[in-house]
Amino acid sequence: MFPWTKKKKSASVAKDRLMIAIMSDRHHETYPFMDDLKAEIIEVVKKYIGVKAIDIKKEMEGDFEALSIDIQLESNQ
Amino acid sequence: MGIVIAVISGKGGVGKTTATANLGLGIALNGERVALVDFDIGQRNLDMILGLENRVVYDMVQVMDGEANLKQALIKSKVSDTLSFLAASQTKDKTVLDSQRVKKLLEELKEEFDYVILDAPAGIESGYEHTIEFADAAIIVVNPEVSSIRDADRAIGILDSKSQKVKEGQEVVKYLIINRIVASMVQSGEMLNSEDILEILNIKLLGKIPEDKGVIDASNQGKPIILNEKSVAGQAYQRIAKRICGQTVRMEDIESENRGLMTKIKGMFQ
Repeated sequence: MFPWTKKKKSASVAKDRLMIAIMSDRHHETYPFMDDLKAEIIEVVKKYIGVKAIDIKKEMEGDFEALSIDIQLESNQ
Repeated sequence: MGIVIAVISGKGGVGKTTATANLGLGIALNGERVALVDFDIGQRNLDMILGLENRVVYDMVQVMDGEANLKQALIKSKVSDTLSFLAASQTKDKTVLDSQRVKKLLEELKEEFDYVILDAPAGIESGYEHTIEFADAAIIVVNPEVSSIRDADRAIGILDSKSQKVKEGQEVVKYLIINRIVASMVQSGEMLNSEDILEILNIKLLGKIPEDKGVIDASNQGKPIILNEKSVAGQAYQRIAKRICGQTVRMEDIESENRGLMTKIKGMFQ
């Protein structure tokens, strides 16, 4: 048999596809306390500077999980 | 004080209720006091698998509502006197569950039983969340198939965020059962093997169950397959039940086809 006629086994295709799909699912996952966390952070930051919006994302990179917090300030400050 | 184990899955149809029935019976046959509770409200099925559907008088919602007490609602198994069963409500829907009432029911059951095993509804909506909320451990059932594995990962994610144990800073114990493995397909590379599944889900293995036609025959009769000592799935459930009871049982290699000449010859006549 020629090597280029060899089809990739479907189980390994499934594994690759699952790895990617699950990574992406986990990336979009949020915590149930996310809304409360947002509200509290806004309260704290507001004491010092005007806040327009806040965005918290759960991120995964390899084995590390992180929360990335984006705080958009009010303009003209 | 007993422990609460939730049997969960992402999608339906992977054999979760069958696994619950067989493990409950298996643990009870090891001499432990077991209560099986069907949390799949509106889709009562565990009673059928156990062959107890004609004996259901009161269900778990009626117990939570105070319309019946636990003693009245618990049904004793015909095959093991240490196994009791509490049916799901067939008329109400999943929204009748709330945290406080679930907690109270489980506290009561834990007083009387060594193992309280909950058959969770499939999916990841509120009924599922209430089933896992107060569980000490979870057994996740998957099939070696993409949709089942992906959905299981989401169910595990919710378990990790909604479990009371996790909220209290403790760990909720999680184990995987891979159900309906076809050795020949694993060997030919057409089915995910258990190592790959464990790697994808990043979870510990509790046991592997081979595909077994006898499972349908067993549920037709309401006699869990664990009672059939000759069946390969029944033997797999026996090993898992022993592991849950704390015994060390070797992980059988059910993914290789070379299981001895006799098995092969028998297989040809099945």
